[in-house]
Amino acid sequence: MIEFQHVSKEYSRDVFALRDISLTIADGELIFLAGPSGAGKSTLLKMIAGVERPSSGTVMVNGQDIGKLKASSLPYLRRKLGLILQGQGLLLDRSVLANVMLPLIVVGASASEAETRARAALEKVDLSDKIGAFPLTLSGGEQQRVAIARAIVNRPQIILADEPTAFLDRENANKVLCALKAFQSAGITCIISSHDEQLFDQVSRVIYLSEGAISDAWTSSLAA
Amino acid sequence: MLIWFRQHLFALKSALSHLRASPGNFLFNVLVVAITLALPIAGLTLIENIRPVSAQLSIEPEISVFVNPATPRVDAMALSIPIKKILKEANITAKLNFVTKDKALAAMEENSGLAEVLATLGGNPLPDAYVLSLSNSDSHKVEALAQQLKSLTNVDIVQVDSAWVKRLSALMQVLQVSLLFLAITLGLVVVVVIFNATRLQVISHQSEISIARLLGATNSFIHKPYYYTGALLGLLAACAAMAIIALSLGPLNQSIAEFAKLYASEFRLMPLGVFPSLILLALSMLLGLCGAFFSVRRQLARIN
Repeated sequence: MIEFQHVSKEYSRDVFALRDISLTIADGELIFLAGPSGAGKSTLLKMIAGVERPSSGTVMVNGQDIGKLKASSLPYLRRKLGLILQGQGLLLDRSVLANVMLPLIVVGASASEAETRARAALEKVDLSDKIGAFPLTLSGGEQQRVAIARAIVNRPQIILADEPTAFLDRENANKVLCALKAFQSAGITCIISSHDEQLFDQVSRVIYLSEGAISDAWTSSLAA
Repeated sequence: MLIWFRQHLFALKSALSHLRASPGNFLFNVLVVAITLALPIAGLTLIENIRPVSAQLSIEPEISVFVNPATPRVDAMALSIPIKKILKEANITAKLNFVTKDKALAAMEENSGLAEVLATLGGNPLPDAYVLSLSNSDSHKVEALAQQLKSLTNVDIVQVDSAWVKRLSALMQVLQVSLLFLAITLGLVVVVVIFNATRLQVISHQSEISIARLLGATNSFIHKPYYYTGALLGLLAACAAMAIIALSLGPLNQSIAEFAKLYASEFRLMPLGVFPSLILLALSMLLGLCGAFFSVRRQLARIN
């Protein structure tokens, strides 16, 4: 479970990225964070990943207080998360397979185990035929699916996706969303930031951020 | 343990892939560090070659008292009495050794390699002599003693033998201390060069490091490849420096051989032995590791 209690993030005097956010996300939920650029969506995701720390308030992720977590403990928290970064964050000089293997190598998995699991993850996002390719030779949608494969390869409890459908056409955006919905149905909590309003009716809950504060939130019929 | 080993293996592979990505930069750094290391290693090679020679030489002052060649053996042997008296009066403790001219000739034939030349002389040109090994090294007293001995009847030449040995010994000490300072200074230069090389490498991999961090990489996982690169740079540079010195010994020994021949010596400069070489390689690796260690810590703290 993820819980925000009166969380604010102030970068410099009177420059707030988040203002008094209180929010609870249950295990296995699929949530959209909506809002214009600069609304605080990425900051909220970064806070869950421990990249940013709250200026005030409490962020609890699976029972761990992010604000009080030691820097040396952060890697172990992140190993339970699957991150899909804005602009994919793929290593361009490494093959698709090597990119997807990386989270497993980091935790000390053997090369053969990492390769087997990376191949399986790539199969789930329908990219088995691109294993040896390099990211720059792939389309935007394919790169995004590689990022999803990398996010799920470590069997995370939570997936955080920052603008995963940005710069994708409708068909590819739907493919990415379908993949994420499949992981949610497997019990993984998925939090997706996006300003693509056409996708909102496909998820159970949308939280609308504006100028760092929650301005609106609604639960669709899909939640039932 | 298995995970620790795997992560080191991955770090080593990453270090090698970083080198493969920019071999020119790496080789240039190896060359710079090798040239820097070559100077102290050359100095050490020189000292290690001279040390056995100087160790054979007596550092305590010795005075050779050559008896007039025309003096009969009995009179020559009788000289020990006035010599001992002078030593007693001067309050100098010394070991007195009478060397007959026959003994001196035999020693010369054996040690100098001039046996054939000496044979052509037809007789023994050497005089009987006394060798005084003094325990007192006060140069003023030694000089005064030499003057007194010279005034004795039947004494032809008095020679203070050890002055140059003492100078050589002092010179060796100066060389050793200078080499130590040179090695420390150039060791620091090596650390700085590797520090800077690692800094540039970390900067060029900044995005890769950020991604690895987000995927749950610990600091130790991120640091290790750079430590391996630094240690590898130090090791290869030391190997290159030793190779440069070994290659330069060939032409240098040709010149030394001609010079040494004038003194009937077969002195040659030899490369360092296996044990000192291994120590130098380990030290150089350690310097590389230190440079990389400080650089990575500083640079990644900045990225944080």
